[in-house]
Amino acid sequence: MTMNKIALVIEDDFDAATIFATALGKAGFETEVISEGDAAVARLETVTPALILLDLHLPRVVGTEILAGIRANERLKDTRVIVTTADSRMGESVRPQADLVLLKPTTFSQVRDLASRLVPGMRKTATAKLENPS
Amino acid sequence: MLSTIAKPFQPLLTVRASDPEDARRRKLLNILLVGVMLITLIALVTIIVSAVMGVAGEPWEVMLLFGMAVGALIGVAIIFAINRYRAGWLASALFLLLLTAVITFGDDAREVVAGRSLFMFAIPITMASVLIRPYASFILAGVTAVLISVIAISINIIPNTPAILSFMILALVSWLSARSLEHALSDLRAINRELDQRVAQRTQDLSDALSREQAESSKNQAILESIADGVIVFDKRGRAIVANASVAQLMGHSPEEIMQNNIESLMAKDVDEADREMTIKLLQDESLRTPSFKFRWGTKTLSVSFATVRSVSGVIGNVMVCRDFTREAELDRMKSAFLSMTSHELRTPLNAILGYSDMLQEEVYGSITSEQRGTIRRITANTSRMLGMVNNLLDQAQIEAGKLAIHVEPFAIENLIDDLRSVATVLAENKGLDLTCTIAPEVPSTLASDSQRLHQILLNLVGNAVKFTQKGSVGVRVFLPDADHWAFAVADTGAGIPTEAQSYIFEPFRQVDDPITRNNIGSGLGLSIVKQLTHLLGGSIQLKSLVGQGSTFTVILPLAPIEEAQTA
Repeated sequence: MTMNKIALVIEDDFDAATIFATALGKAGFETEVISEGDAAVARLETVTPALILLDLHLPRVVGTEILAGIRANERLKDTRVIVTTADSRMGESVRPQADLVLLKPTTFSQVRDLASRLVPGMRKTATAKLENPS
Repeated sequence: MLSTIAKPFQPLLTVRASDPEDARRRKLLNILLVGVMLITLIALVTIIVSAVMGVAGEPWEVMLLFGMAVGALIGVAIIFAINRYRAGWLASALFLLLLTAVITFGDDAREVVAGRSLFMFAIPITMASVLIRPYASFILAGVTAVLISVIAISINIIPNTPAILSFMILALVSWLSARSLEHALSDLRAINRELDQRVAQRTQDLSDALSREQAESSKNQAILESIADGVIVFDKRGRAIVANASVAQLMGHSPEEIMQNNIESLMAKDVDEADREMTIKLLQDESLRTPSFKFRWGTKTLSVSFATVRSVSGVIGNVMVCRDFTREAELDRMKSAFLSMTSHELRTPLNAILGYSDMLQEEVYGSITSEQRGTIRRITANTSRMLGMVNNLLDQAQIEAGKLAIHVEPFAIENLIDDLRSVATVLAENKGLDLTCTIAPEVPSTLASDSQRLHQILLNLVGNAVKFTQKGSVGVRVFLPDADHWAFAVADTGAGIPTEAQSYIFEPFRQVDDPITRNNIGSGLGLSIVKQLTHLLGGSIQLKSLVGQGSTFTVILPLAPIEEAQTA
């Protein structure tokens, strides 16, 4: 059985999406970028990603709704979700449903390293040394 | 009946005179003259009839009587004219003298002084006191005495002394009664005059009071109408009893529609339910009132304040003052929109620059030389600084505009520290510093405050600590200083802050004037914002620092949740 390496980047900002997608690519994922909420909902009906990187501020369907949809879907129970947001209150409110909440600004290396740790079997990168930061 | 007949002749009899006594006497004389005239006319008719029937005496006697009657009529007419157009006393005197003369020469001399005509003299004597003056009866009595004495002597009889004395007594009685009458009348007139004056005074007072009242009321009305703010007063039952033009315009109702209506029905169409309920509560309950309450009324935004209306007799009702806040609300909204747009539009590209620089540095697009790496580091460092400055300026602007909202909610202290670690570890490691974070075991796992603002404060303090520390460590410690507070301390082993600078580093745009810090130029807003945010969260900040040994910033916050508030 081949390993599921599919990652979705759901992010409407082109640059942020590019950086995140590249970071996930570096972490060994097959990455796909979706920039609109409704398109993301539609895509999630056909694909079962190992990881979703989800922005909360999206056009048409907001991130919190997508997250609730993912968590309500039995097929997506193994899918790991990293939420990125600039709003810590929003981040706080979705923390129980997300596997990880990253407050923007989120850096390239942060995404790359954390994603590879979150999904077991992904290649460890040289700088992934945040095992126990304190 | 008689007065009805006499009425048309009243103007003829009445004589206008400034002295009411004079007028009365002259009117009296006129009445007498009319009486005499009627008697004379009857006499004239009798003479003519007897002459025609042949029962009269000699023709010369008839002619004499006729002439006398006509003469009497002419005399009456003359006296009437004098009475009406000249002096009343003159007319009366003439009349009385004429009457006396008629009495004196109208009969046989013996009869006049001692017989049937003697008593006739009583008539002019009595009349004189009424027609001329009270004392005039004495003059007439004197004249009569002289006349009858002279006539008596001329016909050789002794003057009738008892009769003369009787006339004198009659004059005295007439004088007394006329005088009493005049006094009574004059008293009555005085009383009347006083009464008239009093009535006039009262009328004037009332009219003054009324016009004062009207002036006051119309002044108040004018003031009320000219106020640009809407003013509406509700009575204790909640019905509108006063409303000015502005409130009618603001509410979009006519003043007639507003009067006697209650606030519920006035708001029914244009105000949403929550605002309606709040307004009713504020109107009814004095204790809930805030300086102003803003809500949308149709297309307008109103800022409304309430007050209880009291008079000496107690509470009359409540007044609601409405101001058109539409433009301010729109500006407010535009400002907020501008701030949030600017903040997003400025931050997004800076984040992208940071992301791409990070990618280059991580050799995503191939290996880089050490010069390239150094350059990329400079790009990253400068962009980070700019991002920090943008964030600080926007925060400062929001604090100054009173727009920085505080949202108190429960949060896990563990998560707050994790978030900090995920960002600050990289900063510390880049400078070769150790970052340690500890949470004392007695600190509750869940606290209530604004976690986003706490994150900002922590990041700012840790960022500063890293920035000003060249070697050693940066430590974050969460602990309980006393039973009512929790605190976090950010300690570094950096250059330290001189004592004199400790007093001003919390002011906006102030930094320690030191060659070392020149290399770490920032906006100078970081600590100012930290201090203001700490205050907004109900806490305080302390600084302990020794030059060369490092600094410790301690933020102390209440354990009990504070009220949500906005800077204002």
